Formats: sequence, C-alpha cells, structure tokens
Amino acid sequence: MTKTSPDEEPLLNVALLRWMNDLAGQGILITDAELTIRAWNRWLEERSGLAASAVLGRNLLEVYSELESRRLDRQYKWVLEGQTRVLSQRLHGHLLPLPTDPNLSGFSEMQQTARISPLIAEDGRVIGTLTVIDDVTERVTREAELQAQVDARTQALAREKAAREEAEEANRLKDEFLATVSHELRTPLTAILGWSNMLLAGNLEGAAHDRALDIIHRNAQSQNQLISDLLDVSRIISGKLRLDLRTVELPAVIEAAVEATRPAAEAKGVRLTTALDPRSGPINGDADRLQQVVWNLLTNAIKFTPEGGEINVRLGSVGTRVEITVRDSGIGIPSEFLPHIFDRFRQADPGTNRVHGGMGLGLSIVRQLVELHGGTVRAESEGKGKGSTFTVSLPFVNFGKGAERAGRLPFDAGGNEEINCPPSLQGLRVLAVDDEADTREMIRAVLEHCKMEVVTAGSVPEALEAIAQSHPDVLISDLGMPGEDGFALIAQVRALPAERGGRIPAAALTAYVRAEDRVKVLRSGFQLHVPKPLEPNELVAVVANLAGRLNH
Amino acid sequence: MILTERQRDAISELINIAFARTGAALSELTGHRVILNAPEVSVHPTAELPEALAKFIPGEIASIHQVFGGPVAGDALLLLNHDGAVHLTDLLTDGNAPPSSRLDESAREVLTEVGNILLNACLGMFGNLLDVRVSFSVPRLHMETLDELLASLISDGSEPQYALVIYTAFQIRDSSVRGFLVMVLSVASLDRLMHEVEAWEGRQGQS
Repeated sequence: MTKTSPDEEPLLNVALLRWMNDLAGQGILITDAELTIRAWNRWLEERSGLAASAVLGRNLLEVYSELESRRLDRQYKWVLEGQTRVLSQRLHGHLLPLPTDPNLSGFSEMQQTARISPLIAEDGRVIGTLTVIDDVTERVTREAELQAQVDARTQALAREKAAREEAEEANRLKDEFLATVSHELRTPLTAILGWSNMLLAGNLEGAAHDRALDIIHRNAQSQNQLISDLLDVSRIISGKLRLDLRTVELPAVIEAAVEATRPAAEAKGVRLTTALDPRSGPINGDADRLQQVVWNLLTNAIKFTPEGGEINVRLGSVGTRVEITVRDSGIGIPSEFLPHIFDRFRQADPGTNRVHGGMGLGLSIVRQLVELHGGTVRAESEGKGKGSTFTVSLPFVNFGKGAERAGRLPFDAGGNEEINCPPSLQGLRVLAVDDEADTREMIRAVLEHCKMEVVTAGSVPEALEAIAQSHPDVLISDLGMPGEDGFALIAQVRALPAERGGRIPAAALTAYVRAEDRVKVLRSGFQLHVPKPLEPNELVAVVANLAGRLNH
Repeated sequence: MILTERQRDAISELINIAFARTGAALSELTGHRVILNAPEVSVHPTAELPEALAKFIPGEIASIHQVFGGPVAGDALLLLNHDGAVHLTDLLTDGNAPPSSRLDESAREVLTEVGNILLNACLGMFGNLLDVRVSFSVPRLHMETLDELLASLISDGSEPQYALVIYTAFQIRDSSVRGFLVMVLSVASLDRLMHEVEAWEGRQGQS
C-alpha cells in the first residue's frame, strides 16, 4: 500500500476494514500467529451460520476440527513460516465445510478456492494469517456441464464414424459378393459352353462323349442350385418367403437330406453317419425348407472335410426344444470368424484363390429359414483343423412369425383353414377372457376343435371366479375391456398365491402393437403379447407356448 | 557465469530434496504416486534463455510465477508447455474422466497450486538450509508465448540478470510431463546464492 498522510491513514484503514467485513464477495478470515480468529466477515457469517461473536477469540482448528483431520492445519503452519498457499477446488474441494444448494449444483458442499497468506509486521515477523475464500460452486458446475457437452459430442462423432465405417465395410462386402457371384455363375457356364461346343463339333466319341454330357449336366445343376439360392436369399430379404406349415416328422426330413448328399460325401471319401431319435418331434414346420436347412449344413460340412474325415448328424430333444446337430471332423472355423459365419456374403477366404468354391450363401439361408421357424442355429469349433459343430434348435411348436401366411382369412369357425392341433395340448384347460361374446366363441371353437377344455369369462370378476372354480392351466385375456381391463386382471391374478393360480401362464390379446405397449404388457405380468386379429393356428401356437411354460 | 561442477552438484542435491518433498506432497494430495525426476541444472544469462528453453515446442507456455525477496531475490517460475499442462492436470485429478483438451478455470487453479507447492518447496529449501530468509509472493498463472514470457522477465536492464534453469519431469501413472523451473536473479543474488550453497555443502562434508 502506498504511504498516506497520518490523518488519512486511520480513516482509510477503517474504511478498508468495513469493506472487508460487510461488502466483500468472499470469505475473509484473519487469525493471529496462534491461529486465534481475529476477524470473521459477514460473508462467512451468512454462509456458516456462525456469528462473528461466536468465533472471535476461538482457535480456528477448534472451531473447525476437520481441518486437522484433513491435514489442512499444515497449510497454516507453512503460512506461519512465511509461505503463501493456494488451495485449488479440484484438489481440495473446500477449505471450510459450508453448505450449498444441492438441487442447483449436485454438490452437497460449497466448492471453494482459497488462498492463505502470512501477515508480516514491519520487523519481518509473521504475526498472523489472512485467508480468502471464493465460492466457485457455480463455476465448477458450469464447467462440468460444458465438459459433458463436449464429451457427448465427441461420442456422437465417434459413433457416426463407426457407423460410416460399418456402412463402408458392408458396401465392400457387397462388392466382393457381386464379384464372387459373377465368377460363380460364369464358371459352370464355361464348362457347359466348352463341352457342348465340342459335342456339336462332333469331336467326342464313346466314353468321352458320355463324360461331356455328364459334365454339362452337373454344371447346369450346380448353376441351377446357385440361382435357386440367390432367389431364396432375395425372397427372404424382402419378406416374401412362404412357409408351408404342417406337422413335420424330422427323422424323415433329415434322412432325405442325408441321402441327397451321400453321393457327394462318398465321392470325397467322407463318412456320413446319423443318430436320429425317433421321439424328437414332430414339429410344426415346412418340411421342404427344413430339408433344405439340413442339406445346406451337410453340403457345407462335406465341402470343408477332407478325405478320410467323418460327418455325423444327430437328432434329439433338449427340454422343450428339438436339436439337429451336424458335426464334422474337417478344417474347423477360426475363432475370429465364428461370429460372422452365418452372415450373408461372408466367406473365410474371399480371395481369388478360393479353394472351396461356393458363395457363402448356404449358411445365411440356413439361419434365415431356422429363424422363420422360430428356432436358432449356432456354430462351434475348437479352431483350425479341429472340426465344426452346427446345432439347429427348434421349438416343439413353431410360431411361423415373419413368413407370409397362406392368407389372412377372417376367422371362420367352420374351418376354412386347416388347424394344426398338437396332440400334447389335448385336455388342456384354457380360460379365455374377452368382453365380446363373438371373440369368446371363436376361441372356444378353435381350442375345442383341438380337444382342449375351454372356460370363458366376459369380465374381470367373472375371470377371477373362473380361476377359483375351474383351475385353468393357461389364461388368455383381452386387454381392452370396459370397467376393469386386462392389466387389472393380471395384477389381481399375480397377487394370488401359486396354489390358487397366481403363476398361471398368461397371454394378452390386444390390437396395440407398438414396442412400448409390448413392454408394458410383459412387465405387467403376462408372458406373451399377441396382436389381434388372431388366426386359428396362431391361437393354438400361443396356447402351446403357454402350456410349454407349465413344466418350468 | 558458469557453474563449477561442484556448484552444480550441490544445487542439484538441494533441488532434489525440494523435489522429493514436492513429489510427496502431490502424492498425498492426489492419491497418485508422483515423482519428480533428477534435475538438469544450468545457469544462463537471461539473454540466452530462449536457447536454453528451446526444448519446448513453440506455442503457448503455462507459467506459474512467484516473486521472492530477501537476501536472495528474484522471480521463480514453473514452466510447462500447453499440452504438458493439460496432461499434468488430467493426471493429477480424476482418473476416470476422459482426457481434456483445454485448460478451464479449475485446471488453471490446479496448475497454480502445483506450481505453488513446487516453488515454495524450492525457495523454502533455500531459505531453510541456507539460513537465508526468503519471502514469497502470491503465485500467478500466465498463458503466453515464450517471447512474451521472456519479455516480462527482463527488468529495467540496469543489472545483468542470470537464470538458474532446472529441467525436470513429473512422473505420474506411467506418464511423464516435462517442465522447467527457472529462477531469474541479479548477479549479486546469484553470487550470494552460490556462496551459501557452497557453505551448505561444506557443512554436509563435515557431518
């Protein structure tokens, strides 16, 4: 401070002190060399709830004992040795514990920056300390928000970049696929044209002549298969594939596929064996498509199994599912390729020196067809040279979702459509709840056709009484009913103890089909959400699914 | 004025002790193990500082500046380049936050505190061991180019000035951040400092 005249100095000092006390927008705390508090300004009074009169004359470390436990007393020790100390918010949080509004900032305590300086007398002795505290809670909150925005933007950019790279990769794969398609379509044509040219020129006789015809035929078949596969893929992509749903005996289907591929296996010197449990099935499905699935898996296995190897096809049941397993002792699948093995357009070796031929469509068709049947397929391999295992898992009764049906007929109890009745559902007792009499009768007609016992109810109270009296095995309920609706029903049902039907498997019928409706239905206690209108076979499939849960 | 081998060793040893204390203080404060590497010490006339500090890439320099007074007086600075400053604050603070690209207000405060701890340790070292009373000013952080920084250090030019330049690195969590500690002194102060350092060293030999 510059020198002032002796008259001015006391006035200025008083004015300064008054400002520091009343008007400063910071906490100002002065102690002597023993850390006894000698000044405590209004800012501190208001924020700490401690009046100056309550703290003046007391030791700072006694008023705030946490300073010692947080080892901040050392800061004051250093200051008393002559240092000035800076305490940043980020490293300390606060110097003195003062409250803040958590709703506004997310912090439970005021965030502070503090500076502690020595007060030095004319002779150079340190006679006290001056602490200045700033409230930086708002600033820190703002910084965090800004950083969060920056982070969000960085993440968004990263996601966009990843998406772009994925799109570029997909395009690259498509280009590769098209190149392969051209090559694959041309290859048999070359043989066909070549050999047929020679036949026309009359250059071949006897055995050579027959061989030429054989080669032409084989290549034509191969190309036919190729085009057929391409068309299947195209149909599946555009959702136009039709499944012809019937009761299918799996052993017969598998045997047919095995016999069709046996010549190829034998030609290559690969042993083909089967182990088919006749009790597995029957299932609801499209026999031709299922045969195509097994055929594709076998063809794939033969392709990748060298001479002297072995392929085994197994059919068995696991719980409520049927499993078809094709295991080969061939070249195996590298672990990095395993997650992509069912992708369209992918092959483990897409280069021009491909040894194994084919286009990599077969497995993707397998996956699509299996999924259309409501099943799953997975591949396992211990690695190069260690063979592969493909497992198709199908539910006992399928839903046929996603495939275009033969036509959505309005329901006709007279049976315009063949209803597939799984024998396992006979005698099952079903409670159908719907406020509309026509709908109740429809459900009754279909299910009784399949020899199930049907109880109906037109309202929630009726339904609860029916549960108490008839002990149904499964419950089907409309959601939209006047008065108490399906949600009210399921809530009350689930509140019942298990022995009074509280755990009964239940499906909700509703016209609401948005994802959030589905989630709401499943969360409220139903096992299935089935959109209206409902076809007879769908209804049976739903009941069968619910019945399947009875055993758990 | 060139330091003798002996003087250099003695100063290095003193700085090492100060650095050890700084590292310990930062370790305790942040919960991360912080080590300051053995310093490379040299003395240059201030005119030669640009050359001495050439190891820094061109760009902005963060400097934490404290003025010290007493029998030995001058300016003490911790210098970091911008990327180093950002990196250092990241390393010292929340380990889970993604790396920042800028120095916001909070980060600058942290740097000021780090500089404060380091400069106080060194100046305090001189004060205690050399039996010399040193007073410190409030530390200030500046972000500026090297030229601007040097321009601000050159005083009225009446006396030649020297800079004690100490090149070191902060080692934290497998990362290393390089920095310079610079003390700008008048000839008289530097002379006095070296005198006291040698006296201290002499006392060490006798114990």
